Amino acid sequence: MPSCDVLVAGAGLAGLTTALAAADGGASVWLVAKGHAATHWSHGGLDLAAPPGTVGGGEGVALLARRPGHPYEIVAEDLPAGLARVRRALDAAGLAYEGDLASPHGRIPTAVGATRPAGVLPGAQAAARAPWRPGEGLLVVGFERFRDFAAPAVAASLARPLPWAGAPRPERVTAVGVTLPGLAERRNLDGLDLARAFDDPSWRGPALDAIARAVEPHRGDGELRVAFPAVLGLADHPAVAAALDARLGGPWFEIPLVPPSVPGLRLYEAMVAALRAARVAVQVGFAVSAAIRTPDGRVAGLATAAAGRPFPIRAGQVVLATGGFASGGLVATADGRVEEPILGLPVEAPPQPAWLAPSMFDPAGHPLEAAGIRTDRKLRPVGPTGERAERGVRIAGALLAGARALRERSGDGIAIASGERAARLALARTVGALAVPSGPVAAGPAAGPEGRGAR
Amino acid sequence: MTPRVLDVLVVGGGATGAALLRDLSMRGARCLLVDKGDFGTGTSGRNHGLLHSGARYVVKDEISALQCARENAVLSRVAAPAIEPTGGLFVATPDDPPDYADGFAAACARAGVACREIEPAEALRREPALRPDLRRAFAVSDGAIDPWALIELNLRSAVHYGGEALAYHRLVGLQLANGRIVGAELADVRSGSTFRVAPRMVVNAAGPWAGRVAALAGAEVTLTLGKGALIVLDRRPVDSVVARCHPPSDGDALVPVHTVAILGTSSVTVHDPDRYAISPAEIAHLMALGDQLVPSFSASRVLRAYAGVRPLYLPRLDELQPRERAGLAADPAAAEALAAGRIDSRRLTRAHRVLDHGPRDGIANLVSIVGGKLTTCRLMAEETADTVAAKLGLGTPCRTADEPMGGADGGRPYWLGHRLAEREVAGGGDADLVCECELVSAGDIERFLDERWPCSLDDLRRGTRLGMGPCQGAFCTFRAAARVGERAGGRAATATGERGLLVAAGGPSPVEIGRVADGPEPPEPGDGPIGPALVDAALVGFLEERFRGVRPVAWGRQLQEAWFEAGVYLGVLGVDALVVDGQRPCLPEDGRAEL
Repeated sequence: MPSCDVLVAGAGLAGLTTALAAADGGASVWLVAKGHAATHWSHGGLDLAAPPGTVGGGEGVALLARRPGHPYEIVAEDLPAGLARVRRALDAAGLAYEGDLASPHGRIPTAVGATRPAGVLPGAQAAARAPWRPGEGLLVVGFERFRDFAAPAVAASLARPLPWAGAPRPERVTAVGVTLPGLAERRNLDGLDLARAFDDPSWRGPALDAIARAVEPHRGDGELRVAFPAVLGLADHPAVAAALDARLGGPWFEIPLVPPSVPGLRLYEAMVAALRAARVAVQVGFAVSAAIRTPDGRVAGLATAAAGRPFPIRAGQVVLATGGFASGGLVATADGRVEEPILGLPVEAPPQPAWLAPSMFDPAGHPLEAAGIRTDRKLRPVGPTGERAERGVRIAGALLAGARALRERSGDGIAIASGERAARLALARTVGALAVPSGPVAAGPAAGPEGRGAR
Repeated sequence: MTPRVLDVLVVGGGATGAALLRDLSMRGARCLLVDKGDFGTGTSGRNHGLLHSGARYVVKDEISALQCARENAVLSRVAAPAIEPTGGLFVATPDDPPDYADGFAAACARAGVACREIEPAEALRREPALRPDLRRAFAVSDGAIDPWALIELNLRSAVHYGGEALAYHRLVGLQLANGRIVGAELADVRSGSTFRVAPRMVVNAAGPWAGRVAALAGAEVTLTLGKGALIVLDRRPVDSVVARCHPPSDGDALVPVHTVAILGTSSVTVHDPDRYAISPAEIAHLMALGDQLVPSFSASRVLRAYAGVRPLYLPRLDELQPRERAGLAADPAAAEALAAGRIDSRRLTRAHRVLDHGPRDGIANLVSIVGGKLTTCRLMAEETADTVAAKLGLGTPCRTADEPMGGADGGRPYWLGHRLAEREVAGGGDADLVCECELVSAGDIERFLDERWPCSLDDLRRGTRLGMGPCQGAFCTFRAAARVGERAGGRAATATGERGLLVAAGGPSPVEIGRVADGPEPPEPGDGPIGPALVDAALVGFLEERFRGVRPVAWGRQLQEAWFEAGVYLGVLGVDALVVDGQRPCLPEDGRAEL
């Protein structure tokens, strides 16, 4: 049976951050997950906190941290270190992000011609947040035969004041369609198909030429910013971005789309690359079913399954970052119960009749969003009266109770901060790694092809 | 301006109104149909979609049973493209009264409803998901009917014969003089403008709103409204309609409809056809009943819940037929009520009734059609049209039972794989999929928009099944809204001539049928009713409508789906920035989610 210092369940941003922080601290780490997580359908930016009435992420985090029972009440102090760690990993993969806790939330265009507040963004989206200067226009580029981005409709919507909610906006918004080489006969193209096409240098050249030709006539007297659907390369995205910079010679940005999210996949791949570099064993497709326990009941690992066989992993510390309802970390039943399916942890949840507001768009969000596992300050699960519910386990990410992350736009920040904190606390209990460096420690000798995790 | 003269104004675009428009148009009358919403948004679009064989009614209501049996055969012939001839099974389980099955078989024989008892083992071979301890099983000719397809077939046929139909036009007033209706005021609910027509006859086919329409002429029509809630499964555990062999009650049929299956209904009396909610108790009850038929039922994924109201006419004492009077007298409680001058509605037949308000209320040119069932909508229309034709002096007989609808290939019923077969045609000119769950292509969407623009995504759903599958709109809403957006932005100039009207198909050039002489001018393109604001409304409205149906069944996989959808539409797409208070047109009221 493999064993490690820290075993993380869940491959979303919380699990990835936990594993990276634990590995940076010198622990041997395994990360197992049933499947991919919210990274694959999110926008690729990092939503720290943008509750209504706040102008920047730091202010948003501070506001939420003052709310009793909110995860930030416990983990906000770990956000700067966690964010720095994640940024370093992304930088190393050539996926530089821009913005931090001090950045104001700009309103950036979305693929339905709305806008959303955004603080920390991948480089390819960052130009969307720069203030619009007098006379500056926006050109929305669409690709023929690509059904998930309708440039004319996006432009028509963004030409109005309504979507900008009072924020500065471009003086004029226009759209242009580009026919990309060889795709005229393709059906049901999705963002990944296009991103992989852009990864191919021999296809990319003519495609970028066609784009540049289509954009050129739209350059008038004023400045112009150009928006593209977020499909500009996956594995080779930095090269695509550099080539586009050279062709356009002016600012451009990507607009994220419905799943599969190319910017989200880039984020995930960059984090996994950092984990592998830090010799974390990353195993996606390993569904976790239960805990392994010591004779006195403490959690000492997880029972997983892969290829139809049980695959138990022993660990000194377990971090559960299995997500909320969307990821299956929480499950609601027809008869009104909310369950945590792996360990059966006690879940804090509103009574069923109050789960959902009548409107999908209720400004307060839905009460059920706040459901999750209540923890102590060390992220250890507790029951309704504050008693310890389980030993040997910490909770990170969307599984934590108390946030309405969608409306607060706080999900990524909570994931990063709680992952950082869970790792720090787990390391403190791990033999040989009492000090937590903020960056990677010198890598020791590898234990095998799976990295030092498989010892 | 002089109001346009019509032979008949039909109020209500449900199955009956549409069939009536067809019937009267075939007889040569100049007719206009109006509905305050889209066609088929009332009771017609909020039921099982069950084409009754009549077996459900044989024991208690022989008249309804006979009518259903006859109309089942007629619709299967003339409205085949709207029907899936699934066949039906009535099964007796250990939870059902054992003696009912004997009475049931005898009553079917007596009423002439085709029914053949088969071995339980054979029933289980046919439907392996049914509970294994069936006591008895009877094969009948129940089927599935797509109410929106049926309505569209009728409207298209009506248009072919010169009829006109206007969605989103509400009858707001009737002018009477000397015991006749001399004018009708209609309001375009989307633009707010009003205009008048002068009909020689008005037919009230407004279903649960029939009392309100009659009241506009000063007549009283009393209805008992029975709400029925239904739930939709993400699959077809059965391929036949399956009903319990017991006295009609809640949850008594599971109907495979296209890619899903529908179980219902509950029955709760309500007072307002616009406002009713589905209670958690109703849902729990339906789930338990489902498990009594199909053991895996409650482990399946429930996509959504919705409800409709059955409008049951409460006759005046002097309108009771001898047969009804005898039926009431036979029941002690009902007899007591009758003696006191009241009618116990539970003891009344579900059959329909044509009310001639001339003799009844002194309004010579108003007729109401009340009660009835989806299965008998053509018969209801025929009887109503007979009354109307007599008043108009039209001698032409009804031909709706003879002439098939649906053009050259109209003779074929639909089948589960029909969409896939269409999509797999070589070349696939319109095979880009907008809705993957229901295989709705870009071509399907564009054809609908060509005819019905401007319209909501919800209208599009009824026309194409967009968003009716497992993801409940998570992927297609975005794509369909973009198509609407392209119309609103790039093609607004060409759209201004059309105002959400059904146009005739088949002719060399489409004939617009909604042009009313003094109708309002269509709005200019831009950020008005046609423009990005329309897209906002389409997107927000559709997401809200789909959410409304998911909310009562938000647990397990469907809650997971709803959470995912919220993550995409709020988190990635920021749709909340487009929500403007009060800007959700063309949406049903609370609790009125549809299939």
